[in-house]
Amino acid sequence: MNKDLRKDIFLAAWAGGAGHLASAFSLVEVLSALYLGGILKHDPKDPEWEGRDRLVLSKGHGCLALYAVLARAGYFPGEELGRFCRPGGMLSGEPNTLECPGVEASTGSLGHGLSMGLGMALALKCDGRSNRVYVILGDGECQEGSVWEAARCAPAFGLDNLTVIVDRNRIQKMDFIEHILGEDALTEQFRAFRWQVKECDGHDPATLEAALTGPWEPGVPRCLMAHTVKGKGLSIMENDPAWHWRLPNRRERKVFQAELGISDDELRREGAE
Amino acid sequence: MIRAYVTALYQQMEKDPRVCSLLSDSGTEYDRLMIRDFPGRCFNFGITEQNQVAAAAGMAAVGKIPFVYTTGAFLAYRAYEFIRDDVCFQRRNVKLVGMGMGAWSTLGPSHHSTEDIAALRALPGLTLLCASTPRQLAGMVKAACELDGPVYLRMGAGGERELYPAEYRYEPGKIGVLRTGEDGAVFATGTILGEVWDAVERLRTEGLSLTLADVHTLKPLDGAGVLTAAGGQRRVFTVEDHSVFGGLGGAVAEVLAGAGSSAVLHRIGLNDRFALGCGGAQEVRRANGLDAEGIYRQIKAALEA
Repeated sequence: MNKDLRKDIFLAAWAGGAGHLASAFSLVEVLSALYLGGILKHDPKDPEWEGRDRLVLSKGHGCLALYAVLARAGYFPGEELGRFCRPGGMLSGEPNTLECPGVEASTGSLGHGLSMGLGMALALKCDGRSNRVYVILGDGECQEGSVWEAARCAPAFGLDNLTVIVDRNRIQKMDFIEHILGEDALTEQFRAFRWQVKECDGHDPATLEAALTGPWEPGVPRCLMAHTVKGKGLSIMENDPAWHWRLPNRRERKVFQAELGISDDELRREGAE
Repeated sequence: MIRAYVTALYQQMEKDPRVCSLLSDSGTEYDRLMIRDFPGRCFNFGITEQNQVAAAAGMAAVGKIPFVYTTGAFLAYRAYEFIRDDVCFQRRNVKLVGMGMGAWSTLGPSHHSTEDIAALRALPGLTLLCASTPRQLAGMVKAACELDGPVYLRMGAGGERELYPAEYRYEPGKIGVLRTGEDGAVFATGTILGEVWDAVERLRTEGLSLTLADVHTLKPLDGAGVLTAAGGQRRVFTVEDHSVFGGLGGAVAEVLAGAGSSAVLHRIGLNDRFALGCGGAQEVRRANGLDAEGIYRQIKAALEA
């Protein structure tokens, strides 16, 4: 399944001639566990269902993974992925809540999503509703100061219906985080801000599910540090910062095809070239 | 004006359970009653304006009508991207209330909002209101609640004069014509209207009669109303506690030029500079030529030129 999702993601990017492939590959198991693994309460036939849990993809550039998962879940036909970033398509390079069913918030500029998720969680809690809110942050994104404004507020409001998942792949656009600003201490930072934090392998569905559904302390917001690999699932892309915003060249394309099981025909059908 | 705001918001909270009050350590003693009576709907986000605005967008996504209240400078400037991306772009039903308009404070330009209209007017779908008096502000709070969509409300910090009678009803979207005259038309926005009123009255005693209009709704601007009030006047003036670039002056210029008007437009405000000086709003206005005296002189000089 997750290999198929990566294939969908690559073909969508290939069709659109652009996309943050490596960031999306990093997120596949997390989003798949939430939407397809039964963790998130949702109804693809009724995206506005009152009883749904909500997910805000704060690192909006990972949206290809969200689109692939939403399509699989049935929010829109899979063919729509072939119109990613194309004129007239509804799937843009950053998620847009006004265009795409299932997208709860428009993101793109980093450091906005946790605050929006916090507002949703606060409003739901005020109304005594049991719905949860999930926010996916990039670890590079956590350099934005506004993340910590929200992180400071959530425990004060007792938002135990709010879960942050940090896509902990240790790479930002230009390089490894530690090469740019030195090592961070995100687990300790969230703990110091009075969050409860768990860590897990962000590519292992069973571990992810156990961590997300396992015991958590009431009254305290949750943070799951999901250790991931940027570009996961594609040998030449894994852990290489060069892949933040690029598509494979002719030679690299063969590797993608071989590792994702994509035929020349499929590539030609989707290709924007 | 702060009391008028809190009182009007209290009434809306009584009426509509969706209305919430969001502060960022920005409340006053007037808020205490509201916090006491609506404890589950008043939130203090601490000193986190960006977070406060984005959280309001999230609350609106779940059906709330959040009123985000803080000093206008910190709201419009610091949280601008959050207003743009999270409120306007996503068309969230958030009401943003910027307290302290123009050069209102002895604390200086860090606390002044003298370029906010220019910045906010460019945001798609944002209704931009600028209150001239406490009574008008109360009407705006009600109107903002009734409008489904993003609203930015610019209000004064205190001590504003009431120019409208008790039976005044705020009419959204239409400029208010307070005086009509033969020698020119003056458009003003916000609490500086009291100063402009005095200047226009003084000119009247000297035999110069001017039309005076209160442009309380800066966006969408009542272009037809502006053109009617400007009539065939040769001289048109705009007065604002704001930069002359992109604010009321810019908005009126766009309307006049767009209609092919041959009127000469004089934009009175801050001309490519920050407001200087210490003291209360009155003193700071005087120091920057934006009190009744300064406005009177600038209009008179133009009319006699």
